[in-house]
Amino acid sequence: MLGYQNKVLRINLDNKTYSTEPLNMDWAEKYIGGKGLGIKYIYEELTPGVDPLSPDNKLMFMTGPLTGTPAPCSGKLAIISKSPATGTILDCSIGGHSAIKVKYAGYDAIMFEGKLDQPGYISIEDDKIQFIDASDLWGKGSHETEGILADKYGTDTTILSIGPAGENLLPISCINSDYYRQAGRGGIGAVMGSKNLKAVTIKGTGAVTVDDSKKMVRKIAEILREDTTTEDNIWAYTDGTPGLVEACNDGGILPYKNFSDTTDVKWESYNSESIQANKHGKKGCGSCGLGCGNFTKIGDAICEGPEYETIAGAGPNCGISDLETIVKFNQVCDDLGMDTISASGALSYAMEMTEKGIHDFGITFGDKEKLIDYLYLMAKKEGVGADLVMGVKAMAAKYGGEDMAMHSKGLEFPLYDPRGSWAMGLAYAVSDRGGCHMRSYPAAEEVYAASIPPYTAEGKGKLVYDLAIYNAVKFSLIFCDFWALGLDRMAEVMTLATGKQFSEEDMNQIAERVIHLARAFNQREGFDRKDDTVPKRILNEVLKSGAAAGQKIPVGDFNKMLDEYYEVLGWSKEGKVPDSILSQL
Amino acid sequence: MKVSVLLKGYLVKYFEGESKRVLCFDEELTIREAVKVIGIDPESKSLGFVAVNGMRVMIDEPLKEGDQLKIYPRISGG
Repeated sequence: MLGYQNKVLRINLDNKTYSTEPLNMDWAEKYIGGKGLGIKYIYEELTPGVDPLSPDNKLMFMTGPLTGTPAPCSGKLAIISKSPATGTILDCSIGGHSAIKVKYAGYDAIMFEGKLDQPGYISIEDDKIQFIDASDLWGKGSHETEGILADKYGTDTTILSIGPAGENLLPISCINSDYYRQAGRGGIGAVMGSKNLKAVTIKGTGAVTVDDSKKMVRKIAEILREDTTTEDNIWAYTDGTPGLVEACNDGGILPYKNFSDTTDVKWESYNSESIQANKHGKKGCGSCGLGCGNFTKIGDAICEGPEYETIAGAGPNCGISDLETIVKFNQVCDDLGMDTISASGALSYAMEMTEKGIHDFGITFGDKEKLIDYLYLMAKKEGVGADLVMGVKAMAAKYGGEDMAMHSKGLEFPLYDPRGSWAMGLAYAVSDRGGCHMRSYPAAEEVYAASIPPYTAEGKGKLVYDLAIYNAVKFSLIFCDFWALGLDRMAEVMTLATGKQFSEEDMNQIAERVIHLARAFNQREGFDRKDDTVPKRILNEVLKSGAAAGQKIPVGDFNKMLDEYYEVLGWSKEGKVPDSILSQL
Repeated sequence: MKVSVLLKGYLVKYFEGESKRVLCFDEELTIREAVKVIGIDPESKSLGFVAVNGMRVMIDEPLKEGDQLKIYPRISGG
């Protein structure tokens, strides 16, 4: 198939050697690239039960056949490993320009194995690979690190790096690129840190060959004109995700004070209009037709974003409405290399625990000074920070308050209260990497589109499945989440790029395979139905305010949704992938 | 009956670029009927959800004197 470079770069950090090998095209036909193909490699190459922070875990950068082409929203890089936060499979995607550089350097994927004996970074310039000492960079924030490396290598080199959070192996650490873009969740930064790998710089001077470039360019122009830069999508450019603040508040799913309720009377302090009033610039990723990146600057605080998750997490869920504090929180997390969702989730849990007198973490709701100060303690694992970075699941195991620990499988919840969008609860519970909204996003149907009643279990297993199918293809091809076109259009672009005929049904089958394989990885690690759950707060406590006041997800309804989801996928009542499916993966 | 109407996102085109208007209706009506009066097709996939006084409601709910009706276009992603 065209579109691929047909080459994997394998870097052995133990002995500072590297080799190349052909991409496994049998696997590529079944899993395409990005999330799917990355999971396949990690599934095949990792020993079950491996410690995610040991040299035996692997870290893979994976592109797709559309990476480096002008296909809109195709500039994302998938990063795959075993998660230190959850013990599950972990795939993240990061925007910016790194994916395109990997491809132009001549590779579909880069696999990092082993561990450097001293902190170092890898410089990749086409087929020239160098192992370079990073003792002078170790301990520095991601922003400073990237600045130093950009000065050395120039702006046509892309840089992926970790901050102190990754170096200190925090399960809430991320990988940064383009200063403000993150592979954010599941502690992927700690995997890089465990390998003593501070950064990877990549410069590529090659190109990508597609099957029919003329037809593909015409098709892409049509897609951009008719389906991408359209009225329906223009919110991504004008507002970006901050537009969700008002929608989630009105929709009854904006969490308030560690999910103890929803809606916030001060929502206008940090909504899209407030952010627009402090707008400092725009930015887009490579091969993007939308350009959702908005820089916000208030006083000394500046960040790209803040995105909805960070706003809601550091804002209302921590009882804070001051936009400058939210922007500062975003900026500091980015520089330290910390996931804003999990960091704010740990802090909001600590605030509620302190206010309820269960354990004194020294911070209460609304304390905007400590919200920032604690981030530095967390990155260094100093004092109370050492507890907070364990994540809410481990904190609850140590100090209690399990009902207030908002997570699934140890990954802190994104900022949509499932009691106002029942299928969102199922989506968190069955997500392959723990509490996550990027595997299936039913709030878009239950709340934003009002296309299906939100407070019923009826049909929700199928709804979560349908949306998971869509995202599994989207993140395997690999597109940005803002790619809003159907499987049919994905198949059309794939056909023009690769020269192999793809249909909508093919896309559907590939997606199912990816979902089964991710589940098979987790099953091999011991996960099953008992782990597909949400905190008791969601099942037992009704919301007091907002559009979803009076709602919870009754246990019987939750189980009904779960049963239906398993049934649609052909899994057992215990959520096991049967041998008949495993043998086909 | 006076109802304050707030259009979100690109739906402002139905108010010639303005986001807010106060509309007067001669008789009681549902949100669906008000949406039609504004010129928006209630069945359009571009229409998202509607909220009255800051809370999401179903489109066939009735409007009351003094309500603030907010109409969202369809949005996705997060």
